[in-house]
Amino acid sequence: MSSAPTKRHVPLMLGYKKSKAVVRGKDKKVTLNLTSMIDMFTILVVFLLKSYSAEGQIVTVSDALTLPESRSDQKIELNLEIIVTNDAIIVDGEPIVFVDESVLSEGNPIPVLVNRLSDHLEYTRQMRGITGEEMKVNIQGDIATRAILLQRVMSSCAQAGYATQNLTVIKVEGDEEQ
Amino acid sequence: MAQAATGRSHRVRHVPELDLLPVMNLFCVIIPFLLLSASFLEISIIEMSPTEGISSGAGTTSLAQSEEQQLQPKVIMTDEEMFLGTVFGTRSIGRAFMESRDGQMVISYDYEALSEALGGFRDELNVAFPTIPVHKITILTVDDVRYDNIVRAIDVCSEHGFDQPGLQVAAYNVLQRAIATGAGGGNP
Repeated sequence: MSSAPTKRHVPLMLGYKKSKAVVRGKDKKVTLNLTSMIDMFTILVVFLLKSYSAEGQIVTVSDALTLPESRSDQKIELNLEIIVTNDAIIVDGEPIVFVDESVLSEGNPIPVLVNRLSDHLEYTRQMRGITGEEMKVNIQGDIATRAILLQRVMSSCAQAGYATQNLTVIKVEGDEEQ
Repeated sequence: MAQAATGRSHRVRHVPELDLLPVMNLFCVIIPFLLLSASFLEISIIEMSPTEGISSGAGTTSLAQSEEQQLQPKVIMTDEEMFLGTVFGTRSIGRAFMESRDGQMVISYDYEALSEALGGFRDELNVAFPTIPVHKITILTVDDVRYDNIVRAIDVCSEHGFDQPGLQVAAYNVLQRAIATGAGGGNP
Protein backbone atom coordinates (compact mmCIF):
# COMPACT_ATOMS: atom_id res chain seq x y z
CA MET A 1 0.00 0.00 0.00
CA SER A 2 1.48 3.23 -1.08
CA SER A 3 1.18 6.20 1.21
CA ALA A 4 0.60 9.72 0.00
CA PRO A 5 3.80 11.69 -0.44
CA THR A 6 4.69 13.97 2.39
CA LYS A 7 5.47 17.62 1.83
CA ARG A 8 9.12 16.78 2.23
CA HIS A 9 9.08 14.46 -0.72
CA VAL A 10 7.40 16.76 -3.23
CA PRO A 11 10.38 18.91 -4.35
CA LEU A 12 12.52 15.85 -4.66
CA MET A 13 9.99 14.26 -6.92
CA LEU A 14 9.76 17.44 -8.98
CA GLY A 15 13.52 17.47 -9.29
CA TYR A 16 13.51 14.03 -10.79
CA LYS A 17 11.22 15.24 -13.51
CA LYS A 18 13.75 17.82 -14.81
CA SER A 19 15.50 16.93 -18.00
CA LYS A 20 19.06 15.71 -17.83
CA ALA A 21 20.28 18.68 -19.90
CA VAL A 22 18.97 21.13 -17.32
CA VAL A 23 20.52 19.23 -14.46
CA ARG A 24 23.86 19.13 -16.24
CA GLY A 25 23.70 22.91 -16.79
CA LYS A 26 23.87 23.46 -13.03
CA ASP A 27 27.49 22.42 -13.06
CA LYS A 28 28.51 25.05 -15.61
CA LYS A 29 30.49 28.06 -14.39
CA VAL A 30 28.80 31.39 -15.14
CA THR A 31 31.29 33.98 -16.38
CA LEU A 32 30.77 37.71 -16.68
CA ASN A 33 31.61 39.33 -20.01
CA LEU A 34 33.94 42.18 -19.07
CA THR A 35 35.00 43.23 -22.55
CA SER A 36 32.63 46.20 -22.86
CA MET A 37 33.55 47.44 -19.39
CA ILE A 38 37.25 47.19 -20.25
CA ASP A 39 36.57 49.24 -23.39
CA MET A 40 34.85 51.92 -21.35
CA PHE A 41 37.61 52.00 -18.74
CA THR A 42 40.27 52.27 -21.43
CA ILE A 43 38.58 55.36 -22.87
CA LEU A 44 38.23 56.83 -19.39
CA VAL A 45 41.89 56.20 -18.53
CA VAL A 46 43.07 57.81 -21.79
CA PHE A 47 40.92 60.89 -21.11
CA LEU A 48 42.14 61.18 -17.53
CA LEU A 49 45.78 60.72 -18.55
CA LYS A 50 45.35 63.61 -20.99
CA SER A 51 44.13 65.90 -18.24
CA TYR A 52 46.61 64.58 -15.69
CA SER A 53 48.61 67.22 -13.93
CA ALA A 54 51.73 66.13 -12.09
CA GLU A 55 52.30 69.61 -10.70
CA GLY A 56 48.92 70.07 -9.11
CA GLN A 57 47.04 73.33 -8.83
CA ILE A 58 49.10 76.04 -7.16
CA VAL A 59 46.53 78.79 -7.58
CA THR A 60 43.08 78.99 -6.09
CA VAL A 61 40.70 80.92 -8.28
CA SER A 62 38.27 83.04 -6.33
CA ASP A 63 34.58 82.22 -6.66
CA ALA A 64 33.80 85.93 -6.78
CA LEU A 65 35.18 86.38 -10.27
CA THR A 66 35.26 84.89 -13.72
CA LEU A 67 38.71 84.81 -15.26
CA PRO A 68 39.08 85.69 -18.94
CA GLU A 69 40.08 83.02 -21.45
CA SER A 70 43.32 83.23 -23.35
CA ARG A 71 45.52 81.15 -25.62
CA SER A 72 48.59 82.05 -23.58
CA ASP A 73 50.52 78.96 -22.51
CA GLN A 74 52.91 80.46 -19.97
CA LYS A 75 52.98 78.37 -16.83
CA ILE A 76 51.74 80.04 -13.71
CA GLU A 77 54.16 80.60 -10.84
CA LEU A 78 53.49 80.92 -7.17
CA ASN A 79 53.45 84.66 -6.49
CA LEU A 80 51.54 87.19 -4.46
CA GLU A 81 47.90 87.07 -5.54
CA ILE A 82 45.88 90.21 -6.15
CA ILE A 83 42.20 89.70 -6.87
CA VAL A 84 40.42 92.52 -8.67
CA THR A 85 36.65 92.57 -8.91
CA ASN A 86 34.25 95.43 -9.48
CA ASP A 87 33.64 95.51 -5.72
CA ALA A 88 37.03 95.19 -4.08
CA ILE A 89 40.76 94.72 -4.47
CA ILE A 90 42.00 91.81 -2.37
CA VAL A 91 45.68 91.22 -1.62
CA ASP A 92 46.66 87.82 -0.30
CA GLY A 93 43.09 87.18 0.82
CA GLU A 94 42.69 90.49 2.62
CA PRO A 95 40.38 93.18 1.17
CA ILE A 96 42.42 96.36 0.84
CA VAL A 97 40.35 98.69 -1.29
CA PHE A 98 36.61 98.79 -1.78
CA VAL A 99 35.86 99.95 -5.30
CA ASP A 100 33.60 102.97 -5.66
CA GLU A 101 33.29 105.86 -8.06
CA SER A 102 36.20 107.72 -6.51
CA VAL A 103 38.50 104.78 -7.22
CA LEU A 104 37.30 104.61 -10.81
CA SER A 105 37.53 108.33 -11.49
CA GLU A 106 41.28 108.74 -11.07
CA GLY A 107 44.17 107.15 -12.86
CA ASN A 108 47.08 107.16 -10.48
CA PRO A 109 48.38 104.41 -8.19
CA ILE A 110 46.13 103.71 -5.19
CA PRO A 111 48.06 104.81 -2.04
CA VAL A 112 46.53 102.21 0.30
CA LEU A 113 47.34 99.45 -2.14
CA VAL A 114 50.87 100.75 -2.70
CA ASN A 115 51.48 100.76 1.08
CA ARG A 116 50.17 97.23 1.49
CA LEU A 117 52.25 95.93 -1.41
CA SER A 118 55.36 97.75 -0.20
CA ASP A 119 54.94 96.20 3.25
CA HIS A 120 54.57 92.77 1.73
CA LEU A 121 57.61 93.28 -0.45
CA GLU A 122 59.70 94.43 2.49
CA TYR A 123 58.53 91.51 4.62
CA THR A 124 59.34 89.04 1.85
CA ARG A 125 62.72 90.64 1.29
CA GLN A 126 63.60 90.26 4.97
CA MET A 127 62.28 86.73 5.24
CA ARG A 128 63.66 85.33 1.99
CA GLY A 129 66.41 87.80 1.25
CA ILE A 130 65.53 88.41 -2.36
CA THR A 131 65.61 91.61 -4.33
CA GLY A 132 62.57 93.50 -5.52
CA GLU A 133 63.36 92.82 -9.15
CA GLU A 134 62.64 89.15 -8.64
CA MET A 135 59.24 89.80 -7.18
CA LYS A 136 56.21 89.26 -9.31
CA VAL A 137 52.49 89.44 -8.71
CA ASN A 138 49.63 87.49 -10.21
CA ILE A 139 46.55 89.59 -10.89
CA GLN A 140 43.25 87.76 -11.03
CA GLY A 141 40.72 90.04 -12.64
CA ASP A 142 37.04 89.53 -13.34
CA ILE A 143 36.12 89.67 -17.04
CA ALA A 144 33.92 92.71 -16.37
CA THR A 145 36.66 94.68 -14.63
CA ARG A 146 37.10 98.12 -16.16
CA ALA A 147 40.42 99.02 -17.73
CA ILE A 148 40.93 101.99 -15.41
CA LEU A 149 40.76 99.77 -12.33
CA LEU A 150 43.13 97.22 -13.78
CA GLN A 151 45.54 99.93 -14.80
CA ARG A 152 45.44 101.49 -11.32
CA VAL A 153 46.24 98.14 -9.74
CA MET A 154 49.09 97.55 -12.16
CA SER A 155 50.61 100.96 -11.65
CA SER A 156 50.28 100.50 -7.86
CA CYS A 157 52.23 97.26 -8.18
CA ALA A 158 54.89 98.98 -10.26
CA GLN A 159 55.20 101.81 -7.74
CA ALA A 160 55.50 99.37 -4.84
CA GLY A 161 58.39 97.61 -6.57
CA TYR A 162 56.72 94.70 -8.32
CA ALA A 163 58.15 95.28 -11.77
CA THR A 164 56.47 92.29 -13.39
CA GLN A 165 52.76 91.78 -13.28
CA ASN A 166 51.16 88.61 -14.56
CA LEU A 167 47.53 88.46 -15.57
CA THR A 168 46.00 85.15 -14.56
CA VAL A 169 43.83 83.64 -17.29
CA ILE A 170 42.14 80.38 -18.13
CA LYS A 171 43.99 78.61 -20.89
CA VAL A 172 41.97 77.55 -23.90
CA GLU A 173 43.05 75.74 -27.02
CA GLY A 174 43.35 77.41 -30.45
CA ASP A 175 39.81 77.90 -31.78
CA GLU A 176 38.04 77.34 -28.48
CA GLU A 177 38.04 81.02 -27.60
CA GLN A 178 34.98 82.89 -28.81
CA MET B 1 42.19 8.85 -33.35
CA ALA B 2 38.70 8.12 -34.49
CA GLN B 3 37.62 9.83 -37.64
CA ALA B 4 34.18 10.45 -39.04
CA ALA B 5 33.01 8.77 -42.22
CA THR B 6 33.77 11.91 -44.17
CA GLY B 7 37.41 11.72 -43.17
CA ARG B 8 37.40 15.09 -41.50
CA SER B 9 38.60 15.49 -37.99
CA HIS B 10 35.96 16.54 -35.46
CA ARG B 11 38.47 17.81 -33.00
CA VAL B 12 37.09 20.91 -31.24
CA ARG B 13 39.53 23.78 -30.96
CA HIS B 14 39.38 25.45 -27.55
CA VAL B 15 40.20 29.16 -27.70
CA PRO B 16 41.91 30.07 -24.42
CA GLU B 17 39.90 32.61 -22.46
CA LEU B 18 41.62 35.82 -21.48
CA ASP B 19 41.43 36.58 -17.79
CA LEU B 20 40.47 40.24 -17.63
CA LEU B 21 40.14 40.46 -13.87
CA PRO B 22 43.73 41.71 -13.22
CA VAL B 23 43.19 44.42 -15.84
CA MET B 24 39.98 45.40 -14.11
CA ASN B 25 41.80 45.57 -10.78
CA LEU B 26 44.45 47.82 -12.28
CA PHE B 27 41.82 50.11 -13.75
CA CYS B 28 39.97 50.30 -10.45
CA VAL B 29 43.15 51.59 -8.81
CA ILE B 30 44.36 53.87 -11.57
CA ILE B 31 41.06 55.64 -12.31
CA PRO B 32 40.48 57.12 -8.83
CA PHE B 33 44.14 58.21 -8.74
CA LEU B 34 43.87 59.96 -12.08
CA LEU B 35 40.54 61.52 -11.14
CA LEU B 36 42.11 63.05 -8.05
CA SER B 37 45.11 64.49 -9.85
CA ALA B 38 43.35 65.60 -13.04
CA SER B 39 43.04 69.31 -13.60
CA PHE B 40 40.10 70.18 -15.77
CA LEU B 41 40.76 73.92 -15.62
CA GLU B 42 44.22 74.94 -16.78
CA ILE B 43 45.45 78.29 -15.55
CA SER B 44 48.12 80.25 -17.36
CA ILE B 45 49.47 83.77 -17.24
CA ILE B 46 50.09 86.73 -19.52
CA GLU B 47 53.24 88.57 -18.55
CA MET B 48 52.75 92.29 -18.91
CA SER B 49 55.39 94.85 -19.66
CA PRO B 50 55.72 97.65 -17.10
CA THR B 51 52.65 99.78 -17.30
CA GLU B 52 52.43 103.53 -17.58
CA GLY B 53 49.94 105.70 -15.82
CA ILE B 54 47.18 107.70 -17.39
CA SER B 55 48.62 109.94 -20.01
CA SER B 56 48.31 113.60 -19.20
CA GLY B 57 48.34 114.40 -22.87
CA ALA B 58 51.58 116.31 -22.62
CA GLY B 59 52.94 114.17 -25.43
CA THR B 60 56.48 114.00 -24.16
CA THR B 61 58.66 111.52 -25.96
CA SER B 62 61.84 110.46 -24.28
CA LEU B 63 64.96 110.97 -26.33
CA ALA B 64 66.34 107.78 -24.81
CA GLN B 65 63.67 105.66 -26.43
CA SER B 66 65.13 102.64 -28.12
CA GLU B 67 64.46 101.88 -31.76
CA GLU B 68 62.07 99.15 -30.70
CA GLN B 69 60.10 101.57 -28.60
CA GLN B 70 59.85 103.96 -31.50
CA LEU B 71 58.51 101.20 -33.73
CA GLN B 72 56.22 99.85 -31.03
CA PRO B 73 52.61 99.69 -32.28
CA LYS B 74 49.55 100.61 -30.29
CA VAL B 75 46.14 99.02 -30.31
CA ILE B 76 43.74 101.80 -29.42
CA MET B 77 40.35 100.80 -28.08
CA THR B 78 37.61 103.35 -27.55
CA ASP B 79 33.94 102.79 -26.88
CA GLU B 80 33.16 103.35 -30.54
CA GLU B 81 36.08 102.09 -32.56
CA MET B 82 39.38 100.23 -32.56
CA PHE B 83 42.53 101.59 -34.20
CA LEU B 84 46.03 100.34 -34.89
CA GLY B 85 48.66 103.02 -34.45
CA THR B 86 52.01 102.23 -36.03
CA VAL B 87 55.06 104.05 -37.23
CA PHE B 88 53.43 104.04 -40.66
CA GLY B 89 50.32 105.82 -39.43
CA THR B 90 47.07 105.18 -37.60
CA ARG B 91 44.31 103.22 -39.26
CA SER B 92 40.86 102.19 -38.18
CA ILE B 93 40.32 98.48 -37.57
CA GLY B 94 36.58 98.57 -37.23
CA ARG B 95 33.74 99.94 -35.22
CA ALA B 96 32.77 98.47 -31.87
CA PHE B 97 29.57 96.46 -31.76
CA MET B 98 27.34 94.91 -29.15
CA GLU B 99 27.73 91.20 -28.51
CA SER B 100 26.01 88.80 -26.15
CA ARG B 101 28.38 87.17 -23.66
CA ASP B 102 26.97 84.97 -20.91
CA GLY B 103 23.55 86.48 -21.48
CA GLN B 104 24.81 90.03 -21.19
CA MET B 105 25.15 92.57 -24.01
CA VAL B 106 28.68 93.97 -23.99
CA ILE B 107 30.86 95.99 -26.33
CA SER B 108 33.11 93.91 -28.58
CA TYR B 109 35.52 94.52 -31.45
CA ASP B 110 36.49 92.91 -34.73
CA TYR B 111 39.49 90.84 -33.65
CA GLU B 112 39.86 89.12 -37.02
CA ALA B 113 40.36 92.50 -38.67
CA LEU B 114 42.88 93.36 -35.96
CA SER B 115 44.72 90.12 -36.70
CA GLU B 116 44.88 90.94 -40.42
CA ALA B 117 46.09 94.46 -39.71
CA LEU B 118 48.80 93.25 -37.33
CA GLY B 119 49.89 90.62 -39.84
CA GLY B 120 50.21 93.33 -42.50
CA PHE B 121 52.14 95.56 -40.10
CA ARG B 122 54.50 92.70 -39.23
CA ASP B 123 55.21 92.18 -42.94
CA GLU B 124 55.86 95.89 -43.41
CA LEU B 125 58.21 95.88 -40.41
CA ASN B 126 60.14 92.91 -41.76
CA VAL B 127 60.66 94.75 -45.05
CA ALA B 128 61.43 98.21 -43.68
CA PHE B 129 63.29 97.33 -40.46
CA PRO B 130 64.47 93.74 -40.82
CA THR B 131 67.20 94.02 -38.16
CA ILE B 132 65.04 95.41 -35.37
CA PRO B 133 63.02 92.84 -33.43
CA VAL B 134 59.76 94.39 -32.27
CA HIS B 135 57.96 92.45 -29.56
CA LYS B 136 56.42 95.18 -27.46
CA ILE B 137 52.95 96.49 -28.05
CA THR B 138 50.77 98.86 -26.07
CA ILE B 139 47.08 98.36 -25.51
CA LEU B 140 45.77 101.88 -25.14
CA THR B 141 42.20 102.08 -23.96
CA VAL B 142 39.64 104.42 -22.52
CA ASP B 143 38.54 104.00 -18.90
CA ASP B 144 35.68 101.57 -19.25
CA VAL B 145 36.89 98.95 -21.72
CA ARG B 146 36.24 95.52 -20.28
CA TYR B 147 39.11 93.31 -19.13
CA ASP B 148 38.12 90.42 -21.41
CA ASN B 149 38.34 92.70 -24.47
CA ILE B 150 41.87 93.67 -23.41
CA VAL B 151 42.88 90.02 -23.01
CA ARG B 152 41.46 89.15 -26.42
CA ALA B 153 43.41 91.97 -28.03
CA ILE B 154 46.58 90.78 -26.26
CA ASP B 155 45.97 87.26 -27.60
CA VAL B 156 45.67 88.52 -31.17
CA CYS B 157 48.84 90.59 -30.76
CA SER B 158 50.86 87.64 -29.47
CA GLU B 159 49.82 85.59 -32.52
CA HIS B 160 51.85 88.02 -34.64
CA GLY B 161 54.92 88.09 -32.41
CA PHE B 162 53.94 91.11 -30.32
CA ASP B 163 54.21 89.12 -27.12
CA GLN B 164 55.23 91.81 -24.64
CA PRO B 165 52.04 93.75 -24.11
CA GLY B 166 51.67 96.78 -21.93
CA LEU B 167 48.48 98.45 -20.78
CA GLN B 168 47.90 102.17 -20.88
CA VAL B 169 44.67 103.93 -20.06
CA ALA B 170 43.98 107.43 -21.25
CA ALA B 171 41.14 109.88 -21.13
CA TYR B 172 38.94 109.95 -24.21
CA ASN B 173 40.10 113.40 -25.38
CA VAL B 174 43.75 112.33 -25.07
CA LEU B 175 43.03 109.25 -27.12
CA GLN B 176 41.30 111.28 -29.80
CA ARG B 177 44.34 113.54 -30.00
CA ALA B 178 46.62 110.50 -30.23
CA ILE B 179 44.55 109.07 -33.07
CA ALA B 180 44.50 112.38 -34.90
CA THR B 181 48.27 112.87 -34.64
CA GLY B 182 49.25 109.25 -35.27
CA ALA B 183 49.84 107.05 -32.26
CA GLY B 184 52.73 104.94 -33.45
CA GLY B 185 55.94 105.08 -31.50
CA GLY B 186 56.20 106.52 -28.02
CA ASN B 187 53.54 107.97 -25.82
CA PRO B 188 50.44 109.66 -27.13
